[in-house]
Parts: sequence; C-alpha cells; structure tokens
Amino acid sequence: MRRRLGRLGRVGALTIVVVWSLFPVYWALKTSLSTNVASQSTPVQWVPSHVKFTAYQALFGAGPESQDAAGGIARSLINSTVEAAGATVLTLVVAVLGAYAFARLRFRFKGLLFYGVIATLMLPVYATLIPLYRIMADLGLVDTYTGIILVYASGFIPLAMWIMYNVFMALPSSIEEAAVIDGATTMQSFRKIALPMSRPGIAATAIVTFLFGWSQFIFPLVLSSSDATQPLTVLLAAIDSRNVPYTIINAASIIAVAIPAVIVFLLNRWIVTGITAGGVK
Amino acid sequence: MPTTTTPPALVAPRKAKRGGRRDGVLPYAMVAPLVVFIGALAIYPTVLTVIEAFFHSDPLTPPNHFVGFGNFSAVFANSQVRHSIESTGWYALFGVVLTVGLGIGIALLLQRPFRGRGVLLAIVILPWALPGVVEGVIWSWIYSPTFGVLNSALKSLRLIGQYQLFIGSHQIETILLISLVQVWQITPLATLLVLAAMQSIPDELYESARVDGAAWYQHITRVTLPLVRPAVAIAMAEALVMSINIFDQVYVLNAAASTGSSLMSQTYFITFQDLNFGQGYALSLFATVATILLSLLILKVVYRKVEY
Amino acid sequence: MIEKRQKLISKTAAFGVASALVLTGLTGAASAATTSANKAALQNVTINVAIAYPAPPKAMLAAFTKSTGIKVNYSYIQWDDLQTKIAAAAEAHTYFADVADVDWSKVGEYYQTKWFMPLNKYFNVASLPAQYPQIASFIRDGELIGMPSDVSLLVTDVNTKDFAKAGITKMPTTFSQYQADLTALQTKGIVAHPLDIPFAAAEGLSTYWYETTAAFGGQVLSSSYKPEFSSPSSAGYKAMTWMVAAYKDGLVPKGNLSLEDYQGFSNDQAQNLTASVFSDYSGDVGTVYDVPSSSKVVGQVEYIPTPGVSGPAPNLANPDGIGIPSTAKNVNAAVEFIKWYDEAANQAAFAGAQGVSNSISGFPLPANTAGLAQLVSSGKVPGAAELANLAEHHSRAIFPAGAPPWYPAFSNAVYTNLHSAAAGQESVASAISAITSQVSSLGG
Repeated sequence: MRRRLGRLGRVGALTIVVVWSLFPVYWALKTSLSTNVASQSTPVQWVPSHVKFTAYQALFGAGPESQDAAGGIARSLINSTVEAAGATVLTLVVAVLGAYAFARLRFRFKGLLFYGVIATLMLPVYATLIPLYRIMADLGLVDTYTGIILVYASGFIPLAMWIMYNVFMALPSSIEEAAVIDGATTMQSFRKIALPMSRPGIAATAIVTFLFGWSQFIFPLVLSSSDATQPLTVLLAAIDSRNVPYTIINAASIIAVAIPAVIVFLLNRWIVTGITAGGVK
Repeated sequence: MPTTTTPPALVAPRKAKRGGRRDGVLPYAMVAPLVVFIGALAIYPTVLTVIEAFFHSDPLTPPNHFVGFGNFSAVFANSQVRHSIESTGWYALFGVVLTVGLGIGIALLLQRPFRGRGVLLAIVILPWALPGVVEGVIWSWIYSPTFGVLNSALKSLRLIGQYQLFIGSHQIETILLISLVQVWQITPLATLLVLAAMQSIPDELYESARVDGAAWYQHITRVTLPLVRPAVAIAMAEALVMSINIFDQVYVLNAAASTGSSLMSQTYFITFQDLNFGQGYALSLFATVATILLSLLILKVVYRKVEY
Repeated sequence: MIEKRQKLISKTAAFGVASALVLTGLTGAASAATTSANKAALQNVTINVAIAYPAPPKAMLAAFTKSTGIKVNYSYIQWDDLQTKIAAAAEAHTYFADVADVDWSKVGEYYQTKWFMPLNKYFNVASLPAQYPQIASFIRDGELIGMPSDVSLLVTDVNTKDFAKAGITKMPTTFSQYQADLTALQTKGIVAHPLDIPFAAAEGLSTYWYETTAAFGGQVLSSSYKPEFSSPSSAGYKAMTWMVAAYKDGLVPKGNLSLEDYQGFSNDQAQNLTASVFSDYSGDVGTVYDVPSSSKVVGQVEYIPTPGVSGPAPNLANPDGIGIPSTAKNVNAAVEFIKWYDEAANQAAFAGAQGVSNSISGFPLPANTAGLAQLVSSGKVPGAAELANLAEHHSRAIFPAGAPPWYPAFSNAVYTNLHSAAAGQESVASAISAITSQVSSLGG
C-alpha cells in the first residue's frame, strides 16, 4: 500500500515536472496558432478554438497580416545558424587540439597555460564585452560573421577544452601506448586512436557549444548592427518592443526554439554527457 | 573552477611517459591556437577592462583621463546602481536556492532507471537549451496583466479577484518572477550535475541503510545528499554565477525600469545609454571580482571531496 | 562593405559631384533627378540606412534605386536598440550606417560628440526654416546636425464615439473639463479606464510628462537647462502629481505600468480599452487607429487641441531626423537618400496621402510644409488639416535651447522615477528631487 502511494506520488511529481518544463513552450505554440482575438480572450483558451497559421505566414511575408518583421526572420534564422555552427567548428578544432596536448603530452609551462585557460571560465560576460567590441571594431569586423564567430569562440573555448580534456583523460591510454610501441607518431595516435575513441565526447561538446551559440544575446546585441548578422535572439527582443501582435511574437519565439528543441529531443544523450563532463570541476 | 586537489594529469603521470621521448614542438603547435585565442580575446580584453575602469571615458566630456577610484565612487553613489546591486542579491538568493532545490528534487525523481526516463530527461533539459531572451518573451506573455494565463488560472481558481500586475509594481515580487524564468532555464544544469553524481553512489550503501532500518527519506538525507555534496557545491556556484550575471530575462521583462534591474542591465544602460564607458568598466570589474569571490566562497564552504 | 573599385570611383568623382552640388545650390526639397556626373558616381553604390520606422514601401525604394542607381539596405531597428548601436559604433569609431536616425533629443549630444557630420555643405541652411517648421531642433550653433524626416507633435486625441455615449458633445477645452469628462466616462460605465498613459520606464513616458507640463502652463528645463519643476507649485510638479494620481485612481489601466508608448496606442486606444491619449504622436490616427486590420476604433478617434489650464496648450515638437554618421562610407549617396526621403511627395505618401498600404506604419506628419500641404489636399488622412495648422502655428520645441547634450541621462532619470512613483515605490516628491539632483550632477 505504501509502495502504491509512493509510486503514485512519484508519478504525480514527475507529471508536475513535465508540465513545468513544457508548459511555457506549449503556451507559446498555442498562442502562435491562435487568432489575435482568441489569444486575447479572458479567461484564456487552453486549446486554440481555431488553429490558424496566419502568424507564421505573416512572419514570412505572406498572408493578410504581413509584417515587416518578415525577411527579418528568415535572414535571422540563417544568421543564428551560421554563427552558432561556425563558432562550434572553430571552437572544436582549437579546443580538441589543445585538450589533447594538455591531456597526453608533456611540455614546459603546461600547468601555467592550462590554468590560465581554465581561469577565464570564471570571467562573467561583461568583463570582456566592451573591449571585445573595440577590438572587433579596430579589425573592421563589426557586423560580420567572422567577428561574431571569433567572439563566440573565445567564450566557448575554455569550457570546450575542459570537457575534452576530461574526455581524453578518461580514455585508457593502453591502446595509444601500444601504438607508440609499434612506431606511431603522436599525431597518428591522436588522429587514428584518440579522436575516434572520443567521438561521443566530441559530439557532446559540439552540441553544447552549438546551443550556447544559438542562445547568445548581449554580444550580438552590441556587435551586430544590421540585419546582415543579426541572430534570432536580437530580432525577437526588438520586435517584442514594437507594437507587433502577440500571436506573431510567439510565432517568432517558436521558430527560435524549434531548432534547439529538435536537437534536445534527438540528441539528449550527448547533451547529458556534455553538461555533466563540463560540470565536474 | 579549481578543485581542492591538483588534477593528477599535471603531475608527471607515469602512464603517459613515452620511454623518455620528448614531445618536442608538437605540443606547442597544438596548444598555440588555444593560447592565442584566449590570450587575445579573453585575457587581453579583461586587462583592458581593469585598466579602463580607472579612467574617465565618456564621449560627452572628453578627453579621457586618469581618475583613480573616481568611477567606482561615482557608481556606488548612484542610487540606481545601489538599488540594482541589492536586487541582484535577491536574484542570486532566489536563483541559487530555487535552482539547486529543484535540481536536487528532480534528480531524486530520476535517480532510479525506469521506462521512458530518457524521454523525461530530454523534457527536463529543454528549457536549458532555449535562448534566455526567447524565454523572457514567452514568460512575459504568461505573466501578462491583461491576457496572461497565470492571471486567468488564478482567477478561475478563485485565488485572486481580478487580474494582477505581477511584474513592475513590487520589487521582490518582480524579482522573484523574473528569477523564476531563469530558474526554469538553469535548473536542468543542476539536475544533471546532481544526477550524475547520484549515479556514482554504490548500491551497497543503500542496501546497508535498508538493513539498518532506515526510512525512505533517511536514505536521502543520510546517504544520497552527503554523497552528492560536491556536485551540489558546483551546481550552487554555477547558479550563483548565472544569477548574478542575469541579463537576457531582465532586459525583456524589466527593460529600463529600476524595479527589477540587475547589475548587468544597469551596466548596460550606463555604458550604452548614458555613454559613461568608464563607469561601465568600473561596474564590470566590480561584478567580476564579486562573482569570483562569491563562487570561491561557496565552493570552500559547501564542497567536500567524496571518495568511495 | 563597398568594394575597392567603388571606393575609387566615388573618390575620383567626388570633386565633380561636390562642385555640382554647390553649383545647383540644392535645398532640402531638391528633386531626385541627379546630374549625369552624380549618377555615374553613384551607380551600384549600396548604402546602409538605419531608421526607427519601418521601411518605405518597396515600390518607392525601387523607384529611388532606379533613378539614382543607389541600392538601399534598410534596417528597421527599434528606437532604443538603435540608439545603443549608434553609440557603440561611434565610440569604437567604426562604420555602422551611411544614414541613421537623428532624434531631436540627440542633437545636443551629437553636436558635442561630433558623431554625425554637419550637413551645412549639402543643404542651404538659410532656406530651411521656411520649408521645415521644426528645423530649429536640428540646428545647434549654426550647424545642421540632421535633416528633419518628419514633423511630429505631441497631441491629444479622444474617442468621439465613447465621448458621445457619455453625453459629451462638446470637446473639453480646458484641463479641468478634460478631467471631468474622463471621470464621467468612468462613472457612467462607458470605459472603465479611459486614459492611456504609457508608464513603462521608457522615453515615451518622459515626453508624455513634458506635454502635460506644457498643458499646466510651464516647461521642464529653462534655456540654461536649470530645472523648473522642483517646487510643488510648478507646472512640472503638478503634471507629475496628476499623472501618478491618474494611475493610482484607476483612470489608467493597471497594466499600463509596463506598456511603452506604441504598445499603449495599439493595445489600449486602438482596442477601445481607453478613450483618450493626452499626449499621443501626431499621425497616429491615420497610421494606427484607422488601420482596419489591427484597430477596433476605425473612424472614431479624433485630435483635439490640447486642453491647457486656461485654454489650448502648445503642442510640443518631437521630430525625427536623419543624418550622416561621421564614419559613413558613402556620403554622397547618403545625401541623395536624405533628399529623396524629404521630397514633399514622398513625405506625403509616407504619412498616408496615397492610402494606408503606401504609408509607413506609425509615421507622423511630413517634415516640410510642401509635404503637409499635399497631405492635406489628398484628403486621405483624417485630421491632417488640423495637425498641419497646429504644427505651423501652435507648436514649440520642448527645450527652448534645444536638447542638452546629456539628454538621455536626464530622460532616464525622468522615466525611471516617474515609473517608480506610479508603481508606488516612491512618492512624487522624492521622484522630483531625484530628477532634480540628477540634473545638477549632469551640469544643469
């Protein structure tokens, strides 16, 4: 009997957790599929009475409520993707190389360099925001993909390196040692043994980095001055303060969360690895 | 975050020694991009911030000149800044307590494997993967004083008589609700950290607790919690850093009002609206130092090395 | 980013273009027909334009490109974000746009920081006041910091249908009548919260207070930028007291605490949740309230002369302008764009002379008298004639000496304290004293 209650309690608690996690997203989705009038009813409609895609049509420039946010959102979607993906690739290359060196190789100043990189994890965003803006401006890289990707990467590399360091450290070195005995060079054992064996870790790092890149706000707010590089987050904040109907704002929100949501549901195993590997310090 | 012991790898590991062969130039080549990146784009800008914090830098009143602690005293004399520091304290309190509390709770629920746990994990992670700004927008609609579902639900349950203005009238209420959005976002991180630590707890410990006649909640208080303490410490430190840094949600839900302004949103407005870059640097420096000190403090107090 | 080739072309043709401009003695209302030297120089040049209003209709922009060869990369950036971007770019001395927003409130700041280049060599400054009613806001010490891109006034409007339902047939002409009418609307149950004031801590709240102060017969800062609102008997103090009381007494919907100006217009007034906006922006009847797809009050909202203490109050001017940042790359193309934007026919179209679908949403009134005349004669925009009359005879600048260089910090003090006072977090007295001390620390 107690076990039954216990189980019921657990199921109840888990239901609450599910509702807590999903409800806001559901609500945004529901609002985006309602008509303007329905979304403003009191009391609220829990399920849309008529599902309408007009908000999405408006965002992409078609349909009766066409907003000038249109064109903006398609471009921002591309920008978010390019910036997050570019930063991920750059971060991975730099972090994986460095992490392997720290994990497997011996060289002078290793300790100093390692802790130097790790220490930057403690820096909050605004320690570097304005000077980074100035540096990018001096290099002529404001409002360019290059500039934004460089800035993102500089923020993600320390964490990515830390995760990959732990991943490499956890690999049994016996296989590599055997390869060395057989005459393999460091680079060969890196490329042919360590990398393939650490694929899950690399995947996790890549996914986590991509998600961070997708979520960036304050840096692109300052660094991207036009539609050319503006990501979805900045666009969303901007249209939120204009007098755009809430159905459309919620539609834009759903578009902004669609890709992260898909990634989470398809690749959650790797995300878990990534977060936990990065958290254990 | 530095652990209490040096990671073993940096202390001449036996295993990695390759029969006396030195690794030559290669390690430097592999580490070079990393070092250049961090040096140029993380350390150098930070040094700039530290230096510029002591200069008057305001395009409205050129030229820039050294002012020692002038920026700092000006900034702390500003009542809006002091108010935002106090508010940020509340954000940190709510953020840490709620995030870690919920994180531990949810981890406990997910501790034992069961069918569908994978899906549940994905659902739990979802808020963490979404941009803070977008979450702010979504929740602003939920909190809306005219059409929000929170108001509607509370009214249907007869808990309130008429629609309430949740955000903007009272400081603590506003901060709590905005903090809740961030809590929603970062709880998954705490959950996963604690959950991972829970996985390492050997079953024998629970067995012996059962044999000793411990009640179900004592399993948690006597076995689980003490053993996940390091993970809890890290989760608290991370929650602290993120809640002190809170910006995206505040920007969307509180904009330029002083009610719920956080340290970082205040820094943003001082820098880009008042154009007082010198004071902006000073505030940034203060916040950086405070964050580092506080997270080290939490780690020192809460972290305990656990060995099996 | 323009290519080297274009840079070279524009450099070598610059002399020719510059002399052509000087010789033709262009005024702000010059036609779009450029000389052939200009046209050659400007072919395929792309300029970045960043303005806080939606883009002009596509067909119009296409026509501009066709006749000048200049391609326009238009960014509609929300006002506050745009100011941040302008500041960030200017501080870093980096290129941001060729044409950017120059708000009336920023002219003092830009004059001091030199972030925008003076336009005196492209426009004949002496001839401008006759054509542009609000040009004074954009000239500081003889330097033309930006060209007005619209005429905007702070005006009062009411929902005449609601007023009629309450039995009010004659519109209020004094402030006490206005107050009584609002109360009548409330007690008779016509509109629960008849007054729209946007109490979010944002610029729109500051301008609302300036206009209310004008209605109470005063101004907020003197010509030497000293505060004139500190004593309880001053107009500014009374205005703030009235605004805060209106919120607390329920004349204003409670949710307005977090609404900005345009949100208030479209969520309250356009949905018939309020019956009057005391300080609205001229042009909103045509571009917001009469838009069938998003407004429930089409044809019901009309402008009335702002009721002052003893008669009509002045309507303060808050025009937008456009200028050329000092870091701009394609200055001549930028000048062409500015001239095009200010052409009378185009201005009239933006304001609705060619119908709602050819207008710019939220656009106030045309910047020049020629444009105003065309708008009025088109008959398409209700209230245009009255507004034109107000603009030319009844309006004055918000600050007699123009906006101070530290205006944004001042406005920030105003709206954050006024917001707090309405939210009940401080009293009106402490709000006023906080603003006063901010003014003195800023140099007023």
